[in-house]
Amino acid sequence: MRLFRWKAIVPLLLLGALVAGLWILFADRMAKRTTESVGTTLVGAKVEIDRMHLDIAHSRVEVRGLTVASPFEPLENLLQADLLVADLEPLPLLEKKLVIDRLAATGLRFGTPRQSDGRTVGQSDGVMGQVERWGQQLQVPALQLATGKISLDRLDPAQLNTPRLATALAAQADSSRTAWVSGLDALGTQAAVDSSARMVERLKGAKLTDVKLLGDARRTLEQVKRTEERLTALERSVTSGMATLQASAAGLAEARQRDYALARGLLKLPGLDAPDIGAALFGRAAVQRFQRALYWAQLARRYMPPGLLPRATPGPRRVRRAGTTVHFPRSNEPPAFLLKSADLSLSVASRGYSARLTGVTSDPALYGRPAEARGTAPGFRLAALLDHVRATPRDTAAASLADVALPSLRLPALGARLEPGAGVVGFRFVMQGDQVQARWTVTSDRVRWVRDSAGGRSSIGDVVWRAISGISTLEVSARLGGDLDHPELAVGSNLDRAIADRLRAMAGTELAAAERRVRAQVDSLTDGPMSAARSKVAALGGEVTGRLGGQRAQLDQARRALEQRLPGLRLP
Amino acid sequence: MLLLKLIQSLVKTLHSEGTPGQVAAGLALGSILGLTPLLSLHNAVVVGLIVLLNVSIPGAMLGWALFTPIGFLLDPLFDAIGRALLLGALALRPLWTALYNVPVVPLTSFNNTVVLGSLVVSLALCVPVFYGARLGVTRYRATVAERVRRSALYRAMTASKLYALYRLFRPE
Repeated sequence: MRLFRWKAIVPLLLLGALVAGLWILFADRMAKRTTESVGTTLVGAKVEIDRMHLDIAHSRVEVRGLTVASPFEPLENLLQADLLVADLEPLPLLEKKLVIDRLAATGLRFGTPRQSDGRTVGQSDGVMGQVERWGQQLQVPALQLATGKISLDRLDPAQLNTPRLATALAAQADSSRTAWVSGLDALGTQAAVDSSARMVERLKGAKLTDVKLLGDARRTLEQVKRTEERLTALERSVTSGMATLQASAAGLAEARQRDYALARGLLKLPGLDAPDIGAALFGRAAVQRFQRALYWAQLARRYMPPGLLPRATPGPRRVRRAGTTVHFPRSNEPPAFLLKSADLSLSVASRGYSARLTGVTSDPALYGRPAEARGTAPGFRLAALLDHVRATPRDTAAASLADVALPSLRLPALGARLEPGAGVVGFRFVMQGDQVQARWTVTSDRVRWVRDSAGGRSSIGDVVWRAISGISTLEVSARLGGDLDHPELAVGSNLDRAIADRLRAMAGTELAAAERRVRAQVDSLTDGPMSAARSKVAALGGEVTGRLGGQRAQLDQARRALEQRLPGLRLP
Repeated sequence: MLLLKLIQSLVKTLHSEGTPGQVAAGLALGSILGLTPLLSLHNAVVVGLIVLLNVSIPGAMLGWALFTPIGFLLDPLFDAIGRALLLGALALRPLWTALYNVPVVPLTSFNNTVVLGSLVVSLALCVPVFYGARLGVTRYRATVAERVRRSALYRAMTASKLYALYRLFRPE
């Protein structure tokens, strides 16, 4: 038995030739699909190619009709390119590495419309999810001008002090009354008066020699005097107690004033400060732009990481499990992907510009230089630098575009749309490690305002509309700063002051009406308990004072009657 | 239909002119095709070996057919093994780094966890598969093979065009 099947060599060679032939036939299609798949994974939105051709003899790749959908907007393309021609280095291909010497892109257009949603990444997934969550922590105040109402949630009686104090005062009056009435009863005034009357009767026929009777008379007089003294002490206590109760009753009025203030604090007043208005008008648009910049920066950090450690990425899509593909970069070897230079011919708002891109690589530490993008033309300036060579990556980008038709801005808070017309838009973004600084500016002197017919109308809205619709210039500036976990946003515009002044004027009337409603609501909750407490204190004063006066008069009369009889019986 | 083809392949393989060793060797090589992702460069080498070496081609096809579903089932295990080898074993990192930067080797996708894990497992299973299959074929031929050969079903199978193609590459 022979080890080799020699007669199979020819069929095997034929099979090899067939495979090679098929590869040549379908290589373009396979490369197109692979590029679309990899691009879609990288961007997080569909990448589509009309035609792709591999020119193996010249190590060249041509891509025609490239469309990259926007990962942010459903019916918008991020970019479209008519033609891309890439000159490759052939040897790295044997190591499954893609090194592009030079790329020429022509007919680049941005923000073009598309028919279907090209987003493939869910808003809560991966980098997009992180950026969404990051954007949510940037507080953008809401400006409720659509209704213009100053609202107050239902006032909770438990939040008010007056009813509680009034109830306590009523209880205190009740307990004082009980104590004072008991005190009056315990004086024994009636017993002393009766005893005095009986003694006066006995003294009418008495002799000077009746020593025992005289002694009894003196003791009765002493009893009446002691009762008077206890009555005086009780009177002092009542006077002092009544003063305290009356002071507390008077204090209820002050407590109600404090409750008015508390309820006013619960009023939902619209922001009347200019910075709040700026943030409410343009904050959302600014956050959206900062989020997009952050998304690209984070993607760059993910696919262009610093350092030379092995890096795991998802494996290729196939019927079998994709697994994980691990890259093992090594010094002095070519990176897995490198775009040495790219010349871009782009079109923005129907005007042509050119830009240059260098050093875009999957392994910046191997390439040793940061990725750069530059573009200059009259009215156009672009500069970006992604420095991931060192351990702490630093990403910077700055762009400005002048005399271009700026996209319209919807301002739901105003129920209006702003058509900035031709103006200047500027953007600057710096992210070093976790520290971020960014600025977005828009300037235009030919602003047009369009009122949103679907929005609700209100008196405040009308006034604000009159204030802004006469403004023909626009200057918006939004700043972002701080670390990524705690970013701070500041937005300002030339509209802020105009709107704030108008709002203040309008809100004066609204505020007065709202305050009246608040007082009425507080009064309805405090009037009942206050009246009850006050009437109890007043009634108590009358009752106790009256009884004290009556008993005082009885005792006075009894003491005087006794004293009139006693001098005549006095011993010589 | 697929099951019928599998049975046909199994019967033809067991009754082919090849020795039990040739059938077992074909089955072992076919198991590599079945266990690892098919469109990998190392499988081109395996196919070349199956065709060039004097092993049973139906045996290889049978091995491929039998081990493909097993490969799908064991993918999570292959993934874990590949991950442990590529990312867990620090001692192997210089080897992977060297291989990753050698021309052609990265085209095998050895740095993919499923490819590496399945290749390692299939190579490890080659020897037991070979010996187990050889023993099984020997016993089959000694016991029930003759009765099957006389059956009408067997005669129908061997009359097919596929069998004629097989005879072109039958082991010598």
